[in-house]
Amino acid sequence: MEEIEKTFSKEQAIVEAKRCLYCYDAPCQAACPANVPIPEFIQSIRTDNLKGAQEIIREANPLIEICGRVCPEESFCQSACTRAKVDTPIRIRELHRYITDNTNPSENLELKPATKEKVAIIGGGPAGLACAVELRRQGYKPVIFEKKQLGGIPVNEISKIRLPENISQKEVKFIHHNFIYQTKDIKITSLKELNEDFKAVFIATGLPDELNLNIPNTTLKGVYQAREILKKAKVGIKPQIFKRAGVIGGGNVALEVASVLKREYPNSDVEVIYRRSEKELKAFKKEIEEAIDSGVTFQFLAIPKEIKGKERVEGVVVTRAHLGEKDASGRRHPEPIPHSDFFIPLDLIVIAIGQKASNFFPEIEKDERGLIKVNDDMSTNVKGVFAGGDIVKGPSTIVESVAQGKKAAESIVKYMEGEKNV
Amino acid sequence: MYKEKDLSIDFLGIHLDSPFILSASPSTDELEIAYNGLKAGWAGVILKTTSIEGNPVPLKYPMMSSFATDHRITGLGNIDLISQYHINEIVKRVKALKEAFPDKMIAASIMGSKKEDWQTLVWRLKKAGVDLIECSFSCPQGSMGEAPGRMLAQSIEATEKVTGWVKEAAGDTPVLIKITPQVTDIVEVAKAVKSGGADGITASNTIPSLLGVDIKTFEPYPTLFGKGTYSGLSGPAIKPITLRTIAEIAKNVDITISGNGGAFNWRDAVEFMSVGASNVQFCTLPMHYGFRTIRDLKSGLAHYLMDMGFHSPMDIVGKALPNIKTQEELPSPETKAEINEDKCIGCGLCYAACNDGGHQAIDWDSEKRLPNVNEDKCVGCAMCMQVCPVNAIRMKEKLNSDMHYFAKKE
Repeated sequence: MEEIEKTFSKEQAIVEAKRCLYCYDAPCQAACPANVPIPEFIQSIRTDNLKGAQEIIREANPLIEICGRVCPEESFCQSACTRAKVDTPIRIRELHRYITDNTNPSENLELKPATKEKVAIIGGGPAGLACAVELRRQGYKPVIFEKKQLGGIPVNEISKIRLPENISQKEVKFIHHNFIYQTKDIKITSLKELNEDFKAVFIATGLPDELNLNIPNTTLKGVYQAREILKKAKVGIKPQIFKRAGVIGGGNVALEVASVLKREYPNSDVEVIYRRSEKELKAFKKEIEEAIDSGVTFQFLAIPKEIKGKERVEGVVVTRAHLGEKDASGRRHPEPIPHSDFFIPLDLIVIAIGQKASNFFPEIEKDERGLIKVNDDMSTNVKGVFAGGDIVKGPSTIVESVAQGKKAAESIVKYMEGEKNV
Repeated sequence: MYKEKDLSIDFLGIHLDSPFILSASPSTDELEIAYNGLKAGWAGVILKTTSIEGNPVPLKYPMMSSFATDHRITGLGNIDLISQYHINEIVKRVKALKEAFPDKMIAASIMGSKKEDWQTLVWRLKKAGVDLIECSFSCPQGSMGEAPGRMLAQSIEATEKVTGWVKEAAGDTPVLIKITPQVTDIVEVAKAVKSGGADGITASNTIPSLLGVDIKTFEPYPTLFGKGTYSGLSGPAIKPITLRTIAEIAKNVDITISGNGGAFNWRDAVEFMSVGASNVQFCTLPMHYGFRTIRDLKSGLAHYLMDMGFHSPMDIVGKALPNIKTQEELPSPETKAEINEDKCIGCGLCYAACNDGGHQAIDWDSEKRLPNVNEDKCVGCAMCMQVCPVNAIRMKEKLNSDMHYFAKKE
C-alpha cells in the first residue's frame, strides 16, 4: 500500500511559505506541544535554506520525520494560525514535511561526549525517545528498555498509507545510532526489575492493553482487537479475507483500521459501527477523510449488544441510540431506544474502543484509570522516577508525548545536578 | 453595456485614443507583433530603435533575466541592443502600419553616430509618413559614436548638439528624446533637450543594473558561458525612480513628457501623469502578460476618471506637482500611530518593527495578542503602518479640534 499524501514541490512550498506573515510571538508555535519555532523554519524555506530549517525543527522535536507526516495540525499549530483571519491558515505540517523530504538528518550533528550518568528509560516510544535525545544532548547516557521494536506506535502500528516504514525506521535508526547509549531487550514492569542502579528513571511504557467490549461472544473466531491488526499490517501480514467487516469504535485507531482493511480488500465492505453520531467521532479530521476516501461506510448511533455466530462470527446485534445529555467526556451520551435492535451481518469484527493502562509499577501512585500521577515537572511519588507519554495522559498524540519526554529530560537533568550538589 | 468613456488625448499634435502606447521594445520589433498590439487596442507604437544600413547589431543570447515577487516579475533585465532591422525595413513598416491603422500613432525610434546618419534616419522616416520620432540617447549598453559604453544623454553638450541635428531635419515632425535617469542632474539634461529644440522628452529608459550572481558558480545573470554584463532594468522595481525623474523634469523644465519605465497598471499610469507625464509607454507589462493587458489599463482609467469627475486624462497631468516639496519645506505634523483593534489580527509585526527598528513605542500583550501604542514614545514615523498586513494602523493628528489621518500608500 502506498502513502496517500504527496509532498510539496519546491514551487508549492515557496508559495505557501511566502503566505506566512512571520508573526511575532507566534501563536502557531505556542500551539505546538513541542514548541517548534514555526515562523523561523518557514522563513528558512523562503530563502531555500532547508538544512537550516531542518535544524530548527529537529532541535525542538526529535521525531521530525514522523510528526511531519502524522501530526494532527488542525488540533495544534494550524488551528492558531493568524493567516486564517486573512484567508486560510498556512499548511504548516506539509511545509514541515517538505523539509524532511528534502534534507538528510545526519548532516552536521555534533554532540558533546557522553560523560555523565546513565538514565533508565522504560519504553522506546515517542516520549522515551524524545527524553533520550534530550538527555544525550546534555551529556547523559540514556539506556532504553524496550521489548518490541524501538519507536512505539508510529513504528509498530500507524499504517503505511500514512507513515511509510522507511520513513519511521530512518528516524528511529538515526536516534538509536546517535543518541541512545544502550538498548536493553527486557520488559520492565516494576522498578525492582532494573538490574542496575540508576539514579533517575523515566517511565514511558504507553498503554499496552486494549479495552474489550463487555458483550457476549467477543472471543468468537473472526473477532479481533484493532491494534493486533495494525501491528500485523505493519509487518506485512494481511488481515484474513472477508466479505463484510465491522469496526466497532469511533477513535483514530478505529478509523485507521477501517481504512487499512478497505484498502487491503477494496471489493469487500467495511463499516464503522459507532454508538454516537458523526459529530462525536474522536478521530482526527485526516483519519476521517482518509476512511471516507477509501470507501469506508458508517453506521452511527448503533450500540453493540451481542456478537452472533456458531464457530465463526456471523454478525452483531445493535441497538439504535439517540443522543441524550452530555456525559463526563463533554459529548452527548448515546441512549438506547427500546425495541430498536437490529442485526448487521458481518464475517469480521474489529474492536477498537480504546486502550487501558496495565497494572505495572505497583510502587508508583496512579489515578482511578490506572494512569501514573505526575507533578508539573513529570516527577512521580518515587524520588528520581519520572513518567510521561500515554501512561500519564491516556491516549494522546505523538507530539504531546515528545513534549512530555523533553520536559521530563529537563527535570531529570535538574534533578541529577541537584543530587550532585547535595 | 457600459457607457464608453473617451480617453483620447492630443499629444504633440497627434491624436491618441488613449494615453497608453507601446514603447520601443521587442513588443514593436516585428511587423506582425506591432500590428497585433495596435489591433488589441494600444493607442500607438514606437517601433524599436533602428539605425543606418550596415550598422552591425551583434545581439547575444540569452539576453533576459529577472527577479520576481510572488511569481510576478518585479524587475526585468535585458542585455538587448537596438533592432537588427535597419531603416530600409522600418520605413516599409511605418508605411504598412500607417495604412492599416490611420488613426493610431505610428512612431519610430532611432540611433545614429554622425550628424548625417541621424539626419538621414529622420528624413527617410518623415518621407514614410511617421507621426513622431523618438531618439534613443540612453541605451544602457551605450550609444553609438565616439564614447563607446557611455550613454549620449549622460553628456549635456552631446545631448543638446544631437537634439539640434535631429530637430533640424525633422522640421514639424515631433521629436522625443529618450533619456536615462543615470545622471547627476536630470534637470540639466532636460534643459539641454529643450534648448536643442526637441518637442518632448521620454523619461526614462531602463536603468543600468546587475540582475544577480549565481552564488555557487559566481556567474552573473544572464549568464553566457559563465560571463555576464550589466542589464537595463525595467518593470515595477524602477517605478519610484521614474516617478522622481518625471516629477523633477516637470517641476523645472517646460517640456512635454512621455512617461516610461515601471508602469505596470492603470494606477501607475495615473501616478506618472499626476507628476507630469502626458502619456505613458509600456514594455515590461505586455512582454510579461501580453497585449490583452490594454483592456484593464483603459477600463481602469475610464472608471477612475468618471469616479473622480475628470473630463479627460489630461486633467490628471501635473495634479500632484504642487504637492511635491523639498524636505525643508514640509510641514511638521505631530502624529501618532493608531491601531484599529477590530481590524488587528494579532500578528505582532508592528511590535517587532517598532521594537527593533523604531522607537520601542508599541507594547505587546501576549495574552490577548494585541499591540498597544505608547503615545509618549511614539514619534509618528509610520514604520508600523508599512508592515501591517491588514491596514489596521493609521497615523493620526489632532488638527485644531478635528482628527486628521495621514494616508497610507495603497
